[in-house]
Amino acid sequence: MGVTRRAFLITGATLGGGLALAVGGVGAHIGLHNRLKHQRSGESESSAAGSLINLWVRIAPDNTVTVLVPHSDMGQGSQTGLAQIVADELDARWDQVRIALAPPETAFANGKPMQGFVSDAVAIPDWADGFAEKAFFRLADLMNMQMTGGSTAVRFTGWDHMRQAAAVARDMLLRASAAEFNVSESELSVADGVVSHAASGRTLRFGELVGAASELGPRDVAVKSPSEHRLIGSSLPREDIPRKVFAEEHYAIDADVPDMHYAAVRHAGVFGATVSRINNENEIRARRGVTDIVFVQNGVAVVADNPWRAEQAAKALDISTAHHANQAMSSASLEQAQRDALADTAEEASATGDVVTAFADASHTVTAEYLAPYLAHATMEPMNATVWRDGGKLHVVCGVQNPLMARAHVANIAGLDFEDVVLDARPMGGGFGRRVAFSMNDAVPLNWLTDAVQIALTQDRPIKMVWSREEDTRNSVYRPMVLAQFEAGLDNTGAPVAWRSTSFLAEADVRAVQPAYRIANQSIRFAGEHQGVPTGFWRSVEHSQHGFFKESFIDEVAVAAGADPLAYRLSLLDEHSSEAVVLRKAADMASWRYGADSDGRAMGCAVVHSFGSTVAQIAEVSLQNGLPRVHRVWCAVDSGVVINPQAARAQVEGAVHYALSAVLYGKCDIQDGGVVQSNFHDYRMITLRDAPTVEVELLTSDNSIGGFGEIGVPPLAPAVCNAFAVLGERTRRLPLIA
Amino acid sequence: MVQFNLNGKAVTLDVEPEMPLLWAIREEIGLRGTKFGCGIGMCGACTVHLNGNPVRSCSLPVSAAEAQEIQTIESLGTRESPHPIQSAWIEQQVPQCGYCQSGMQMAAAAFIAANPNPSDDDIDNAISNICRCGTYDRIRAAIRQAAQEIG
Repeated sequence: MGVTRRAFLITGATLGGGLALAVGGVGAHIGLHNRLKHQRSGESESSAAGSLINLWVRIAPDNTVTVLVPHSDMGQGSQTGLAQIVADELDARWDQVRIALAPPETAFANGKPMQGFVSDAVAIPDWADGFAEKAFFRLADLMNMQMTGGSTAVRFTGWDHMRQAAAVARDMLLRASAAEFNVSESELSVADGVVSHAASGRTLRFGELVGAASELGPRDVAVKSPSEHRLIGSSLPREDIPRKVFAEEHYAIDADVPDMHYAAVRHAGVFGATVSRINNENEIRARRGVTDIVFVQNGVAVVADNPWRAEQAAKALDISTAHHANQAMSSASLEQAQRDALADTAEEASATGDVVTAFADASHTVTAEYLAPYLAHATMEPMNATVWRDGGKLHVVCGVQNPLMARAHVANIAGLDFEDVVLDARPMGGGFGRRVAFSMNDAVPLNWLTDAVQIALTQDRPIKMVWSREEDTRNSVYRPMVLAQFEAGLDNTGAPVAWRSTSFLAEADVRAVQPAYRIANQSIRFAGEHQGVPTGFWRSVEHSQHGFFKESFIDEVAVAAGADPLAYRLSLLDEHSSEAVVLRKAADMASWRYGADSDGRAMGCAVVHSFGSTVAQIAEVSLQNGLPRVHRVWCAVDSGVVINPQAARAQVEGAVHYALSAVLYGKCDIQDGGVVQSNFHDYRMITLRDAPTVEVELLTSDNSIGGFGEIGVPPLAPAVCNAFAVLGERTRRLPLIA
Repeated sequence: MVQFNLNGKAVTLDVEPEMPLLWAIREEIGLRGTKFGCGIGMCGACTVHLNGNPVRSCSLPVSAAEAQEIQTIESLGTRESPHPIQSAWIEQQVPQCGYCQSGMQMAAAAFIAANPNPSDDDIDNAISNICRCGTYDRIRAAIRQAAQEIG
């Protein structure tokens, strides 16, 4: 089943006498995957009048068009992209469009739309590959979905739903105008927010038409063809950027509530453990500004009248940690457990051909073992929240990727009704998956929100809790460490005839693990269960590890076959496939060469399809004083459709840099049940000095629209490592600089 | 008592002399454009100017500001009268999440004031702020553009 494009609509005069459109129907129900927006109205959903609002296109008598975007901002620029889609389809003027963040409200989380969603979404739409697929099933019974993640905002919310809602709104305005002028619709044209009757020279602005338009029933209308797009495909400036440049953006950490105090937390240091005793409580309480000490689920918080005083006191705490089984955990023990699982409990997740016979007949075999370490997200804004009680309500200011689920989480922790939690979801100082409200296991990513609520409930004043960078690094939900073993069989021409991979953790989508190449006999195997380290989603999710594995291994296979790795890949791809197209493009951009040049520079390539888009990258590297340096990265992207090229390119450029920090420096070691690294001195990030020049080419195609937020991450690690392999340094365990 | 000039105005604070300037500015005075990122002077999100020089306010005791001129992002420029760095930041569409960009712009503004004609190497060596969204390429382009404008 694909996403059903047909939509029925619920309309009504709402909100300042404007026209509000909501798209319902099966397709829209799947929109709940992203986040349903409901307006509280007290009416049943079937009585319309804006009680069910999925995607809002709101036109006001003053001629403004407000797009209510249900995705929070974490730097991805999708709010502008979504508004572009609406403005284009509506034929509005760009400067009459306003963007507003939809509030985290839900009137009927268990209502009919969700039932329809659950039953209709048994099959997965084709865009929902990888991460989204599994998240889908997990989310379906959680109900409170309001999600920024999975690279879904533009390609799903926007392309599938807002575009349809805007087309329907345009049609209603057109018909209202036809009635007003008493002419047929075919005599009218719409442009720049104005409906015109050329024959008589009469015009009406959208704002003058909303009253009449809102009385009309919606019709199912076609969206524009690509040749009719005016704003879609253009590099409009992002609307959020001036706010960020002039420091007008208010992140959660900037909350300013009268009379608030501040909390700092010291955690037990062992995953799952609690603090059993504070050995110097009197000394801490006597410090200047300290007003309280509070136990939280896995730690102790100090409350003070200034955040630095709170943090200094928290650092001065002398605490004892209760015994916990996780204390025995170390990177070495976890890795050994994974290796044992791979040897003993691997199960086949997908198979093609006859791998056993193919390996037996192969003239040459290549094997390799890879390891991707645990990684914290290290958002620039550390986890924080401001929480206070007011009457029967609990107010929360925070930055989260799923405001509705966060609101439900807070209600749960506080023992309150959902309705009694008021959640102000602020723009996030980085997300990268850290602020997603759920995980694929028992880890609770909103652990910081739990702390903040537990602290605030004991206090009579607002509390702003900020985790130090150290607590943030050591209490994340980490990208899982994954050990993977590969085996390939080559025939006597060097072509691969058999491919077997065995990797830890069955949470990965098998499509993220399968090679893109024409190999007749394949076996993909998984082994093992979630280990004791809390794990979550990290930008590009399983593609970040498996892209590294499979694109490193095909390179090793190519080298074993004595081939140019790029040509070898192309020989195993349909020449019209996205992978082949972007690889050839990247090779052109980089003037691909295999082998080190006279300056000691070498290139490596990789291509990974994820989140609906295919990305090829070529990295140019060298060793300088023995240290790896990445000079340039060329990226060719096939995302089907591009809404805002410059914003899309920014996502890919950023993803390269994000991934490079991980490739060069990124690892969280486990020792005594906790994370060793704590701050940027030992959990290093690249700076300008390490940052390569990144060139991005965007290709459009007939492929369905792909995402942008994550797709630049997966090819970078293998492209860089494949380049260093040319210089004689094959890396199978990340990071490069341990 | 600590006294200094903040964005051209005299301020007096009754805080410990060792309190980092960052927390005095953000929570005692209430100017929250300057950000907290690491607390150990590594990331530069807290960069402000001390007598025109970029400093990491999370690691600078407020006592070091005594009788000095401190400038924060709030005084760099306005929408009506942007600093060349800010114009270039918009032109190059630099920010993504934006959180590090106050500190990044303050570092860049101080840098171009001292280096009106920088090479990319100069930029890379002078500015060690961290941006997790990875806006580095655009930062370089914006700094070059702003430097040209003032030079």
